[in-house]
Amino acid sequence: MVTAYIHSFQSEWLKRKRSLAAWIVLIGGFFTPVIIILVRIVYPSKLPAIYAAPNFWFKHWDNAWESMSIFFLPLGVILATSLIAQLEYKNNCWKQLHTTPLSLTTIFFSKLGVIVVMMFQFFLLFNIGIYLSALVPYLVVGGVHYPEAPIPFAIFIRENFLFFIDCLPVIAIQYLVSLQYKNFLVPVGLGICCWIAAIAVLSWKYGYLLPYTYTMFNYLKSHGGGRAVIPSVNIHVMAVGYFVVITIVSYILYITKKEKG
Amino acid sequence: MNYLLETSGLTYKFSENETVLQGINLQVPEGSIYGFLGPNGAGKTTTLRLVLGLLKKQQGNINVFGKSFNKSRVESLRKIGSMIESPSIYSHLTAVENLSVLQKIYQCPKDRIPAVLKLVGLSGTGNKKAGQFSLGMKQRLSIAIALLHNPTLLILDEPTNGLDPNGIIEIRQLLKQLNQQEGITIIISSHLLSEIEKLVSHIGVINKGKMMFQGTLEELISKQQQSLSIVFETDDTVKAGKIMVENNLVPIYGHGKIMVPAIPKELIADINRRLVNNGVAVYEISIVKNDLEAIFIDLINN
Repeated sequence: MVTAYIHSFQSEWLKRKRSLAAWIVLIGGFFTPVIIILVRIVYPSKLPAIYAAPNFWFKHWDNAWESMSIFFLPLGVILATSLIAQLEYKNNCWKQLHTTPLSLTTIFFSKLGVIVVMMFQFFLLFNIGIYLSALVPYLVVGGVHYPEAPIPFAIFIRENFLFFIDCLPVIAIQYLVSLQYKNFLVPVGLGICCWIAAIAVLSWKYGYLLPYTYTMFNYLKSHGGGRAVIPSVNIHVMAVGYFVVITIVSYILYITKKEKG
Repeated sequence: MNYLLETSGLTYKFSENETVLQGINLQVPEGSIYGFLGPNGAGKTTTLRLVLGLLKKQQGNINVFGKSFNKSRVESLRKIGSMIESPSIYSHLTAVENLSVLQKIYQCPKDRIPAVLKLVGLSGTGNKKAGQFSLGMKQRLSIAIALLHNPTLLILDEPTNGLDPNGIIEIRQLLKQLNQQEGITIIISSHLLSEIEKLVSHIGVINKGKMMFQGTLEELISKQQQSLSIVFETDDTVKAGKIMVENNLVPIYGHGKIMVPAIPKELIADINRRLVNNGVAVYEISIVKNDLEAIFIDLINN
């Protein structure tokens, strides 16, 4: 079973090569850092003061995560997850996959595994991008000193972990819908509607019931400034709960599907 | 007889009012090339999808390699290669990458990839993405995918769709070679008898979800012999018909002629003599020979 899963995972990993989902991970990971680099190079006058600030890394981290947590991360997860399942529909390959000697459980979880690992890959690239977006302006613009403050690795790793967990319910929902509908517009449309709804309910006291708000809440918890009602419940625990429940529902729906390609 | 694939009472309904298959008993002998024939919409693809587990079985039994398919799905699929309807190919990957996707699952030797590509004539495709292939090339790649893990049973649903005449001949030769040299049992579906009659050893004819004929090609040919008819053209059809009835024949009338089932040549001469002796002028006696295609059409029209 484990061996079959590893082989199936390798096969699924190969399928994402050159796919739109793989490009989204790559481009999405470096998009915000590139914008930060460009802005700092175009407007270099304030850089010496910014880089000399004792809280440089925290400010830099916040800059990078602001647009990521509200826009790019949820939208990227919606698109990438939907595209992975769509690979089979688009290429008419469900029937081929379902006639391989793999159990339906293996197929379901190896695809989900690939999506989760791609998400991890995205976080890794984004973090490299964050560091490069601090480094490149210092190397390119004259008179700027490398920040003296040490990089708060422990805090950043913890925050990465929380953002990652907050993405999981969105992955589960998008995966469920993508497996059930051949039309790519259904999962993507639903995802975008939920994302818009998430922005709308940020200032509602029950906004946390919609899992698409979690990455936003995680960022806004220390930067909300009245823009959101930060939930008193632990959204990260809720995210894990949603992920587990939705994945179980998704799995049951998948294995009981009458037509398998 | 040892059947590699056997279904009994296979029935499938898309809805309460739409029965697609009615009690299909498919029997595919080991080592055969089984032609599964029927017009479009007859139930061929539905049968094959049920056999491969792509549709949930509703009624009946499916045994593959002597075991219930439901109980040995993964084990059975390890020995089956298939291609159902249109090609299943990842368009953003090359031919080699497409095969690698499957090689990782089957864990067959990596050198099978160039071997099957050579077999189907796609060795030189290099970095070209499968999405840029012609339909015929995609079809060949699908066949290569089905052959990758050296299956014992090959299930091909209309594999020559989109191939040019040369391609059809090549694939036919390839399948024959695989059957004769490697001993692979092959099920090949088609809506054209002419396309597969030179290839198959056994034939199953399905129409409107019912099995109309199943047997060897020889049995079908013998049906052809039985379907020979003798046609008499005379100046008095009624009188000639009476004479034939007196001789225990069952005449069929049409276009001013009388047709009777095949009879020995001595009896033809005797009937001719009797007609002439009774004053009936005989203009022509001819044999109508139904070819396999006519029998096929006759089977599906019945």
